[in-house]
Amino acid sequence: MIPTFFQPEFSKIIDREYFSKKIHPIRENAFKNFLKHGFPNRHWEDWKYTNLSKIKKGKFRLSEIKDAPKKDIDVSEFGLQNFHTIVIYNGHLQENISTIPEGIKILSNLEYLENNNWMVEQPVKSSFDLLNTAFMDSGISLVVDENKEIKEPLRILFISSGKENIMVHPRIHLDVKKSSSLTVLEQHVGESNDYLYNGSWIINIEKNANLNHFRIQNNSKETINIGNIHIRQNTSSNYIFNQFALGGSLSRINIYSDLIGNGANCSLNGLNLSNGSQHMDSYMVTKHHEAHCSSSQNFKFILKDHSSGVFSGRSIVNEKAQKTDSNQSNRNLLLSNNAIMNSNPQLEIFADDVKCSHGSSTGALEPEAIFYMQSRGIDKESAKSLLVQGFASEIINEFKENDMHEHITFHFDKWINI
Amino acid sequence: MLDIKNLYAGVDDKEILKGINLFIKPGETHAVMGRNGSGKSTLSNLITGKDGYNLSKGEILYKNESIIDWAPEKRALEGIFMSFQYPVVMPGVNNTYFLKAALNAKLKNEGKKELDAAGFLKLVKKKLNDLDMDTSYLQRAVNEGFSGGEKKRNEILQMLTLEPELSIMDETDSGLDIDALKTIASGINRYRNPDRSFLVITHYQRLLKYIEPDFVHVLIDGRIVKSGGKELALELEKKGYQWLES
Repeated sequence: MIPTFFQPEFSKIIDREYFSKKIHPIRENAFKNFLKHGFPNRHWEDWKYTNLSKIKKGKFRLSEIKDAPKKDIDVSEFGLQNFHTIVIYNGHLQENISTIPEGIKILSNLEYLENNNWMVEQPVKSSFDLLNTAFMDSGISLVVDENKEIKEPLRILFISSGKENIMVHPRIHLDVKKSSSLTVLEQHVGESNDYLYNGSWIINIEKNANLNHFRIQNNSKETINIGNIHIRQNTSSNYIFNQFALGGSLSRINIYSDLIGNGANCSLNGLNLSNGSQHMDSYMVTKHHEAHCSSSQNFKFILKDHSSGVFSGRSIVNEKAQKTDSNQSNRNLLLSNNAIMNSNPQLEIFADDVKCSHGSSTGALEPEAIFYMQSRGIDKESAKSLLVQGFASEIINEFKENDMHEHITFHFDKWINI
Repeated sequence: MLDIKNLYAGVDDKEILKGINLFIKPGETHAVMGRNGSGKSTLSNLITGKDGYNLSKGEILYKNESIIDWAPEKRALEGIFMSFQYPVVMPGVNNTYFLKAALNAKLKNEGKKELDAAGFLKLVKKKLNDLDMDTSYLQRAVNEGFSGGEKKRNEILQMLTLEPELSIMDETDSGLDIDALKTIASGINRYRNPDRSFLVITHYQRLLKYIEPDFVHVLIDGRIVKSGGKELALELEKKGYQWLES
């Protein structure tokens, strides 16, 4: 069953004067498609362990002009200095306080579509993609031209605020052209109640280009955060994704990476921390279309209280993709007897000359390790903290640029000691 | 230093130690020898305070105080140390960070000033040198990817850094080649002095060639059946344990 609140909200989108009518057919097509398929339910294999009733019952409304900030926002309160920042507040781009590093072009989605002769493929991997296309707002497209190495990292800061069941569907297009490189941080913050973020990123990485993508999701504990990330990688390109997530009541990332050129490398990593009744789901599909590519998926969850987590990682190696090197790892630490983790790493291999591995483990802290530390004079609680920190360090240490490491360590330590 | 009196202990309903008496004075080195399953590990675990054992009778006194109810960390802070037979691997836990946390816990307990990173590094570099270890050890995760010999060296490094008064060496020679054993033994021997005591737990006489004990005790089926000087170890090497079994 499809919640009734989407239909009137869709009519509002179509009536909005400041959205170009040229995009309407794309929106309408997606919305029709959404109505046809509806939301996933728990009979769908890829959604088996994630209950979407919070969204279905949410009665969300679109973010309006009145939900834009009344006065200029001080971004320094969200930590992380020294970033050029694009600020998106409740789906509204805050141009006056946004800056971008030299060498990046920023376009509206309309300009982007026109520049590409309207040949931009719209994502259709899940109902959330369809909703995003139907409702897309705050559309920004970023283009890094050929042979440009952007040294300063760029942050896109999503601030959610409000108590009125707001929903936002940001759409980001990101093209990293031949032999260019960029580091981008996607940061989610804000105080909001019953809020739905459903963002889609469409990323193209051309030959020999590099994209380093960080994602820090620290929404309030009432917010729903659905992140959809689509990556197409050409020959010898590199994509490295690192997530640090601790916010949201219900959060899910859907990552779809297609390695369509020889020798591309895709590395997806994440650390998810949950407590209370939080539910975190990390879903990813890496598809090897061509030979000599490498990929990895390495996600860790640490769960407290009644929280729950899902890891679904799939690596698909097509017939042509010989000499693929692919590995998956999902390791989880349960700090409570009531926490639940579902782990499902999968390999689908259709080529014969490949190196693929996968592994998963879920468990509590080792009593032997705690005793070992105690026998060196470290008290039990500190010993546990040290072990949890050790478990997390592999991912945390990937957050190197600017003051990200310090920022994350601060939030991690605070989380451990709740 | 250590006074164990008529100790009976076990796991669940199974009695493992059946009336142990052991008295170690400051500066003495005692060896406890026995086969697998004789109760050697139970004895060392009871001294260090590991969970999971029932102590049905007897006393463990350390510097004249009963330590039975002390948490393992308190025992460590008060100067008891064990070199583990199988040191635990702690993925992602940095060796420097771990050792510094342990040392600072001890300094704090003694009311002394805790060391900062530079002060700690200066201290630990000297100890590394004594054990033929290079500084790359410090950057690695505790025991992760360490060879058997490296793990044992790391145990001794911890001992030299924490400066315990009573050190229990649990099968310290297992998994070591002769060169590594010599290095480790000389590290231990240099550490010996009239205020420090050792309890060396071993299957074989081999280790005792390098760390000479003052007394040797033979543990069979939870009882010390014979005690003597270091020559007892040689006798065991020749004759095995059989002649002592009833």
